[in-house]
Amino acid sequence: MKRDGDRENLLMTAGPRWLWPVGWALMLLVGVWAMPVLEPGFRWLEPDARQVIYSRADFVSLLARHVFVVGIAAVVTISVGVLAGIAVTRQWGRDFLPLIGQLASLGQTFPPVAVLALAVPVLGFGTLPIIVALMLYGLLPVVRNTLAGLHDVDASLKQAALAMGMTSWQVLTRVELPLATPVILAGIRTSVTINIATAALGATVGASNLGDPIIAGIVNGNMAYVLQGALLIAFLALTVDSLFNALQQQLQIRLSAP
Amino acid sequence: MIELSHVSKHFGEDTAVDDISLHVAKGKFCALVGSSGCGKSTMLRMINRLIEHSSGDIVIDGQAIEHYDLVKLRRRIGYAIQSTGLFPHWTVARNIGLVPRLLKWSSADVKARVEELMCLLGLPMDEFAHKYPHQLSGGQAQRVGVARALAADPDILLMDEPFGALDPITREKLQDELAKLQAQLHKTVVFVTHDMDEALKLADHLVVMREGRVVQQGTPLALLQNPVDPFVESLLGGLERGLKQAALTRVKDHMSSLGQSLPAQSRIPGDFSLRQALSMMLRDHCDRLTVVDQQDMPIGELSLRKVVKEAQLDKVSHREA
Repeated sequence: MKRDGDRENLLMTAGPRWLWPVGWALMLLVGVWAMPVLEPGFRWLEPDARQVIYSRADFVSLLARHVFVVGIAAVVTISVGVLAGIAVTRQWGRDFLPLIGQLASLGQTFPPVAVLALAVPVLGFGTLPIIVALMLYGLLPVVRNTLAGLHDVDASLKQAALAMGMTSWQVLTRVELPLATPVILAGIRTSVTINIATAALGATVGASNLGDPIIAGIVNGNMAYVLQGALLIAFLALTVDSLFNALQQQLQIRLSAP
Repeated sequence: MIELSHVSKHFGEDTAVDDISLHVAKGKFCALVGSSGCGKSTMLRMINRLIEHSSGDIVIDGQAIEHYDLVKLRRRIGYAIQSTGLFPHWTVARNIGLVPRLLKWSSADVKARVEELMCLLGLPMDEFAHKYPHQLSGGQAQRVGVARALAADPDILLMDEPFGALDPITREKLQDELAKLQAQLHKTVVFVTHDMDEALKLADHLVVMREGRVVQQGTPLALLQNPVDPFVESLLGGLERGLKQAALTRVKDHMSSLGQSLPAQSRIPGDFSLRQALSMMLRDHCDRLTVVDQQDMPIGELSLRKVVKEAQLDKVSHREA
């Protein structure tokens, strides 16, 4: 009996938050596996096309490669961005604060297309240039939010932590980072979500992913292809975004309730 | 024991603390009083090296503070501040157990200590241990702050306006509790406040500061009887000074034995202050009170004339000394 009660409780507290990401992920999987089922709909959109379901590569592998590219870029962006943010808020790194801030802004003002154009001659066609472009593009939100999150930690709290006899490493890991996590997480959310959409550009330099149907559709004048790529990318972005949202709410609850 | 000799602190051109010497004996309660910006908080923070002093010596238990390991020094000095500095992402119990955990006590020891302190500060374990700081009232949060400062049983306690943000009633209650705690624990306390009444109530040794310098220091009674200049006098309450002095004196110490005449109607416990006795005389329109012990048995008599006369004698004898 007790176990049942526990489970019910768990579902009730975890339920609504985690329903959204699960729902969007289901939509994504249905889209990937069962796109041909929607053929009549796409046929109505493009009555004259020879083929209305993109078939040069299966959607599953396109999705996998899309996730891979964004994932690698995210891991690098997050590690570099958070570490840089931490470094320039330490006493020894404070001199570099303006520099890092400007570099990160520069990364985002520089359009990813331009980065691709510059990167291809150096790195060749394929996955590498798009990963570099995504890294540069996604760095700003992570760095900016890491800086803001750490900056917002009450100075008197840091001083109290030091006065209690914490080492500066302990102040960072036990006080500053835990308190800054919600803000940092919001930055990561923005960065990853934008990059899921931006990664589609990779299709133009031979990194095949969910951008492929879109590019092929534009080239062949087939709106159905474009729509399929766009739908899947949107579902992926919504899945990840709602996942972060749920994570943030979970954190908020842990921070503000017993 | 804390010993400061000729300590100064300069921030660039500005002098925050100017050539201060101060001795706080073991188990004594020292209050630094002065208006804001007079350097009293800077003084306090120099003791646990949150701010490094520019010149002079600060010695704790016979050793200059710069010869201690910084982290170890801070872990043996309790620290409580106005905004409580409680970590908002930690429960009350975790906040209190911080320093013992830093000192690598076993978790059973930490738990036992936290329980002991919460009991000592009137925070029932069941009700408060798992609460977060934002769920506490100002007074409760401040108790947790004091409990945290006491957690590793430090000999020395630094308190920076710990009750500054509380409403007057809560503040007074916590002052009483702190006085009781101190009578029990005998910590060496350095306490910063701008509230002279708070300082008079709690301190064994009072240090009045202005613009980074010590204007006068001594026991509260000595300062009340002999303020060195108009600044100290006004801080001590100007015309109210007599009453403040009366507040520090117990009825018991000024009563005379029961006389022949009929005992007075109004009764006052011997532990009450002269100030309360005076107030009672005004209220009851009388110039004599019967002093009683805890069992409400008469033990002596207090007359207005005697109170006034002895206050005068105190002053004279102090001048001569």
